[in-house]
Amino acid sequence: MTSANFGGHNWGMVVDIDKCIGCQACVIACQAENNVPLNTQDRVERGRSISWIRIERYWEGDFPDTKARFIPIMCQHCENAPCEPVCPVFATYHNSEGLNVQVYNRCVGTRYCANGCPYIVRFFNYWEPVWPETLRNHLNPDVTVRSRGIMEKCSFCVHRIRRATRTARSQDRQLLDGEIQTACSSACPTSALNFGNFNDPNSKVSTMRKDQRHYTLLDQFATEPNVIYLAKVDTDRKVGAGEAASHG
Amino acid sequence: MKLNRREFLALTGKTAAGSVIFAACGLPERELIVQSPVELPEDLVRGEDAWYATSMGDFTNGDGVLVRVMQGRAKKIEGNPDHPVNRGKSTARYDSVLQLLYHPDRISDPMLRYSKAGNLVGISWEQAEARFQEALANANGSLTVVTNPLRGHLGSVATNFAAKYSGKHMAFDPIEQGVLHRAVKSVLGQDQLPTFDIANANTVLSFGADWLGTWGSPAQFGVKYGEFRSQRSRGYLIHAEPRMSLTAAAADLWLAPRPGTEGDLALGIASVIVDEKLVSSDNIAAFNAALPSGLAGYSLAEVAARTDVPTERIEKAARHFAGSPSTDDKSAVAFGGGSAGAHTNGSFILGAIYALNLLVGAVGASGGVTPNPGSAFSDISASATGASFKAWEEELAEWRAGNVETVIIRGTDIVHGMPNSVAIREALDSVPNVIAFGAVLDDTMGYADLVLPELTFLETWGTDIPEPGPGYQVVGIQQPVVGPTISRDESGLISNARGFGDTLLSMAGGSLGSSMERLVADAVSELHDTRQGSVTASSSALFTNGVLQRGGWWDTGEKGTSSSAGKVSTANKNAGYSDTNSLGTGDDFNLVPFQSNSLLDGRLASTPWAQQTPDPISSASWSTWAEINSKQAEDLGIRQGDVLLVRSTSGEIEVLAYPHPGVRPGVIGIPIGQGHEEGGRWAEGRGANVLSILVDQKDSETGALAWAATKVRVQRAGRRVKVPKFEGEVEARPVEPGVPVLVVGPGETAEEAEIANHHEYQGSLFND
Repeated sequence: MTSANFGGHNWGMVVDIDKCIGCQACVIACQAENNVPLNTQDRVERGRSISWIRIERYWEGDFPDTKARFIPIMCQHCENAPCEPVCPVFATYHNSEGLNVQVYNRCVGTRYCANGCPYIVRFFNYWEPVWPETLRNHLNPDVTVRSRGIMEKCSFCVHRIRRATRTARSQDRQLLDGEIQTACSSACPTSALNFGNFNDPNSKVSTMRKDQRHYTLLDQFATEPNVIYLAKVDTDRKVGAGEAASHG
Repeated sequence: MKLNRREFLALTGKTAAGSVIFAACGLPERELIVQSPVELPEDLVRGEDAWYATSMGDFTNGDGVLVRVMQGRAKKIEGNPDHPVNRGKSTARYDSVLQLLYHPDRISDPMLRYSKAGNLVGISWEQAEARFQEALANANGSLTVVTNPLRGHLGSVATNFAAKYSGKHMAFDPIEQGVLHRAVKSVLGQDQLPTFDIANANTVLSFGADWLGTWGSPAQFGVKYGEFRSQRSRGYLIHAEPRMSLTAAAADLWLAPRPGTEGDLALGIASVIVDEKLVSSDNIAAFNAALPSGLAGYSLAEVAARTDVPTERIEKAARHFAGSPSTDDKSAVAFGGGSAGAHTNGSFILGAIYALNLLVGAVGASGGVTPNPGSAFSDISASATGASFKAWEEELAEWRAGNVETVIIRGTDIVHGMPNSVAIREALDSVPNVIAFGAVLDDTMGYADLVLPELTFLETWGTDIPEPGPGYQVVGIQQPVVGPTISRDESGLISNARGFGDTLLSMAGGSLGSSMERLVADAVSELHDTRQGSVTASSSALFTNGVLQRGGWWDTGEKGTSSSAGKVSTANKNAGYSDTNSLGTGDDFNLVPFQSNSLLDGRLASTPWAQQTPDPISSASWSTWAEINSKQAEDLGIRQGDVLLVRSTSGEIEVLAYPHPGVRPGVIGIPIGQGHEEGGRWAEGRGANVLSILVDQKDSETGALAWAATKVRVQRAGRRVKVPKFEGEVEARPVEPGVPVLVVGPGETAEEAEIANHHEYQGSLFND
């Protein structure tokens, strides 16, 4: 669990896997919001698709006791991020609000950060992103289109944070809990994805992270992610009994 | 020495990295926090955006959306938090509509085919209107207007237009819902689909309907599912379907009956409840009244044998559905649809399923079935569904016989959606004037004489009455959120399109209304006159602004009422399947088609986002795959990527094998949505159209196509290709070897589960 305590905001996410239905609404919302290049068939087949948030599906058991488990995975915005110290040009750094930020115009494409990230949430642009001319109309002007040769990843929709912060400042008020929603959390029909400020003890995410089902991915690496997961509940599971699962 | 940008950044980066290493040896902590020395692009949000509320007519069952618009361009579609149906939430389909709006292959101008064998050539709107008028004049009563099931005022315009020219308006829906509407009417006495109070239910029991994926109102149901899981006493979901859909995957208990035996399963569950007296005698009496033939023949053992669902699972489902005797909270709801109703005995199956609600007193109760009220408008129906397949067969026979002069088609791709058996192409070729509307070419337009570019719902006025609604009256208002889009080189509009409704009104000479905008304005005025609902304003103008800002009008006081229960149709209790005897070599399977999570029935196949979205279960994209049970595949020597020939008496398609453990043996699940002859650069010639090989069997009561009753013979083609899929692209990050997703039992903490998993793993290592 993260131990950061910045003076202002410490943005983070709580993912309740018990509510995730694997519907992919978050995935497409993110693609649209962040000008992620089109994942053409060729790129999918080569294993080069870019998806800042992805839903992994794992099988458990054989028919008729089959269970499918879903888990959304995006940049974990780690406090001890393995991707940050390895970048020779400081293209990735930790900002004062708990975000792991990627500076596109510094990146020289060494891909060290991708090698260092145990969550495999950093993506290299092998090709110049191309949209047919008319489709460029829907690109989001708040988000840079990344060029060939640089890394990209989930930004926790930092542009939404900036826009909302600017609005709040112009209205001379504090940001409200829930006022900022990332594209994925906004889309999620079941509210499995929840975004907010961990520095506010009364925020929804601060309350949720106290749930007894909370855990973080790969906590043995002590990366201290700002994404907290709440475990899936299975009424068939005998308490205290581990389960074996195969992934595909 | 001249440095380029990259070399400069690399050099300065190395210097900076060195300072970090040095700093780690003892400099104050604050100096370790590397800050951006410049404002990053993401720090500089540019321009002001506007969010317009509108109703998402053609791609949802009436969800309210907000569209982000900057400088006249639509940038994002999100759920409208104010709208009572989807309450701010979305599906994976919403944003794909942006790519339809700005599609590079969007039809730019009207096109005419001078002869049936000729090519489409561009013409002006003036020429198109003249040709349209000529077709109407020639029709002389032999006119059919074909649309998708249209709700709101657009449906009314289509019907009135057809009536004006003494023709008929027929709706076509390849995933026919007629059986569902019939069951709801005959068992629950409801004229429109009710909604289900999933959020407050203790137990949800669903059959066939993938309500978290594509059935009904997935955004509405998704919100309720989130609440269902958040209850103090976590809700329990039971889902019955031969293949694992999104809903089956989310279920606590998945039952996989033989296709066509879902009705038996429902009555088997009822039988356990009645035998064990798990509910009150009044409820049992109500149930018996709806099923006069009784439960004879539906004992636990008989049902288990017919459905191939083990007795203990049926009992478990029954006891959960009836509620725990130790608690007062026994709210439960049962509903079904989708493949469960798509059989020759579909009316019986869905009737039996909906009658379960009588057994637990769910109709009108909290956590049960919530009736929806009628329309807020006297002349607009609150319900829309496609004509039955039987009605379509009769209609197409008229077309083929040359008895129909003019056909106007909009919003539905009948060439893609009809099985081969009806010879739809020949039927269209027999109609002298086929006029088709659309944003991007579809298969039907390949047979049209006149193609008219149509504005999308983001560019037109309309109203919408969501079905199912939230339990009270809702009218969604659709408004144009963007104007005509000028091409980026400023050479002209990317599409010189017009609205379907406005074109019909114009062709009718104004006798049916001057414009859709005017009809919507009159409708809003009618709502204002009620002095009720979600918007109150002193003037009509203020009321209109309020309704447009909120995306519609709703009146929580106008609720539906539950009426006296009817009867379950028992005329045909046993499912029939198509024959495979003449289909050559191979192995027989029950074909269970299912709507793609992103393409739906194919209406979004032209957009790259819908194509690239991984299927939630297989993770496949850009293709048509076939789901078969992994153990059975192993026995048959079928491996992932094997090209399979899937053959029925209606035809043959080629699909890619994708074996997995979430399908019952003997079933082959194939997604609907691909296999288009037209549809732009991303859809044409991709995958296979499973709808084409459906055999023309029908529900004996309604005449609906029994689209899950086709048996196919499957044979390997002897080729193997890579399945375009996301699965395997990244390694798993297990919490413990073999445990990629942490699962806890009821009341168990994550820490306890992790310790238990660790001990189990250690035990497996040392063979304890």
